[in-house]
Amino acid sequence: MRQNHPYLRAYMAGITVPTLFLLVVVTGFTMLHGVAAPWERIIMFPMAVVPNLWGVWNMLYCRWRWAPIGVHGAILPLLLVPAGFGLARALEVPWMSVTGAAIALPVAVVVYYLAWKYLVGFFNEVLGVA
Amino acid sequence: MSGDELRRALPPVGETELTRDLWPAMLCRMEERRVRLTWLDGALAAVAMVWLAVFPETIGVLLYQL
Repeated sequence: MRQNHPYLRAYMAGITVPTLFLLVVVTGFTMLHGVAAPWERIIMFPMAVVPNLWGVWNMLYCRWRWAPIGVHGAILPLLLVPAGFGLARALEVPWMSVTGAAIALPVAVVVYYLAWKYLVGFFNEVLGVA
Repeated sequence: MSGDELRRALPPVGETELTRDLWPAMLCRMEERRVRLTWLDGALAAVAMVWLAVFPETIGVLLYQL
């Protein structure tokens, strides 16, 4: 089985972490903004874009392996934060600001580095694409 | 397919006993997989926590990216 479809397995390993973490995201948003928040606009990026980008990013890692997986993952926020900011502004998500996105970027890089190194790396090992 | 036909279709397996104890290898494998946080990664995690404590308004922005 491990010889077959390595990119599909890499994709599945990549989407696992943000898909599981979506429960934390929804809980956090609910605590921060309440149940009356515009969920249809808020949840689109974390639910649809982020997991798929993680999967594709892990496929690219398994294709090239140009750096340690933590470093590879730490680059992803440099794409995701501007993309998320742009989509949030387009959808008029209320709390998103340039300042907030700029301040969140460094910590997003650190969080992504750790998540990719320890979590995605673990799932890659489990699925035989490490 | 009857039972006899099935038995004929599947030849008997010759050696079924293990030639060695697999449990020590399993213990080694479990030991290898134990995740150890390096001091640098621990420091990065601590910096991230302090950052979020200093700028709590970024928690929502960060959650949006995860």
